Amino acid sequence: MPLKQCAELATGCMLPGKERVELKLFLRNYLLLVFVQAFQFCLVVLVFWLAGFRDISLVFYSLFLFGFTFLLYTVYQYIRHRAFYKRLSQPFTTLEEVYEVKADTPVYHALSRLLKSSQALYQKDIAIQSKKQEEQLVFMDLWVHQMKTPLSVIDLTARDLDEPYSSDIREETERLKNGLNTVLYMARLRSIQQDFNVKTIDLKTFIQQVNQENKRFFIRNRVYPKVEMEEETIQVETDEKWLLFMVTQLVHNAVKYSKDQSDYFYMRVYRSNQRVALSIQDFGVGIPSSDLKRIFDAFYTGENGRTFKESTGVGLYVTKEVAAYLGHDIQVESTVGQGTTFTLYF
Amino acid sequence: MQKIYIVEDDPALADLLEKTIQKYDYETKTAVHFQDIMEEFETFQPHLVLLDINLPSFDGFYWCRQMRQMSTCPIIFISARVGEMDQIMALENGGDDFITKPFHPEIVLAKIRSQLRRAYGEYSPQLKERTVEESGLVLYPERLELHFKEQVQILSKNEAYIVEMLLDRYPRVAGREDLLETIWDEFAFVDDNTLNVNVTRVRKQLQRLGIQDAIETVRGVGYRLHVTW
Repeated sequence: MPLKQCAELATGCMLPGKERVELKLFLRNYLLLVFVQAFQFCLVVLVFWLAGFRDISLVFYSLFLFGFTFLLYTVYQYIRHRAFYKRLSQPFTTLEEVYEVKADTPVYHALSRLLKSSQALYQKDIAIQSKKQEEQLVFMDLWVHQMKTPLSVIDLTARDLDEPYSSDIREETERLKNGLNTVLYMARLRSIQQDFNVKTIDLKTFIQQVNQENKRFFIRNRVYPKVEMEEETIQVETDEKWLLFMVTQLVHNAVKYSKDQSDYFYMRVYRSNQRVALSIQDFGVGIPSSDLKRIFDAFYTGENGRTFKESTGVGLYVTKEVAAYLGHDIQVESTVGQGTTFTLYF
Repeated sequence: MQKIYIVEDDPALADLLEKTIQKYDYETKTAVHFQDIMEEFETFQPHLVLLDINLPSFDGFYWCRQMRQMSTCPIIFISARVGEMDQIMALENGGDDFITKPFHPEIVLAKIRSQLRRAYGEYSPQLKERTVEESGLVLYPERLELHFKEQVQILSKNEAYIVEMLLDRYPRVAGREDLLETIWDEFAFVDDNTLNVNVTRVRKQLQRLGIQDAIETVRGVGYRLHVTW
């Protein structure tokens, strides 16, 4: 009966749905006590009944008194512990919220202390982990830079060798150099906020620089760039270093997947819907449509990756992330057997 | 002869740099005592310094500041770091130029030449005209002239590049990739055919000097010079 009354009270008040969660929790917690109280009451009535006090109106009167005091107690408890139950029934949304808890009852106070201590443990753990991660990044950065000296030594030594060994070794040092660069940029991606510097860049000069840096790669693979500029000077606002990384990735892919298929690819700069676009179109193997959606995912290499080896699934991922950060759009169109076009919109 | 002081703590790289630079008629010295670079610097009195940034006791920036207190000679930094911050630091500490590893030897040499020219003048008496020679065939790369037995042929830029590389690599094969890389004109479209055309022109130039069959084609690899004169 007291339970029913409580429930009626609850529905009678018609609390908004959100607050009823804590009420439900409170009631569930009180359920056993209600049953114990009811059982005790029945027991007492039974004892008196068997002892000969068989007055039904007396039973109802004492039930009313009993129920009323219990109800008062329950309501009092609920009001007193409301904040506590509310806290219990709502998950934290931020780590800091635990410190905003204002406990006013002993149980609540104990709970908040417990939460804070667990929080402190987590914080310590996170601090250790992020320090480790930081150390690893520093180590990686240091290591990559350290490897550049031996790389220079190998490269310079190879120049004095006979052909074709000289070119063969230098092809490998070039690959090592590119691999190291990707590692560096992948690591830097995590701290790109502190590592970019937007300037006005002339795309013609920029494309010349890209092609100048990659000429050996073009020559070796016998795939050469054809540059088409819609206007003589087209300028964009971007970070030069990251743009160089992105375009180098796209150019490398264009060459890699056109080798033995076609001996040129296009680099075009034009205006489209008031945005400047830089497109890189190759006439190579193309990307299967099943892979097209996922080529920008980290570590995804797809069918071409399996055929051509040497793909890590990192280059395009970093490219996409950087483009998003710099506010550029990157789009891809591809037909198997006909080629692929990547377009960067500034 | 102009003197170049190389401060690089990796002995293999220092050695290779020295050899590359010596080929072009410069006197070189590599740093030995990294605690006392200044003493070596004062005794050697270089015309130009190649300076690594990461060095054993003090870094390159420190030594650059020290050198600047007593000399205005060009200082070129060589570093593995590609960050803008390092380049700014290098220039702010008194450096004149910056090269990142791994580098092309041609770039190092081009930067050395341009710095020397700027510091000591184009027609400085110390600056001897560069020549490349093999058994009486002499190339003057700056004048684009090929001399042989009192005869002179004027070459185009690309022809001169090819002759220079063939002479440079003699008696080894000059690689196709190296040749194409040097004649790559950044404004024009280059492809495999460009090299064939230019080598044919060089053959004709040599014929005019009375030299026959000096350039052998090594299929898929490159071209080799033979002394047939």
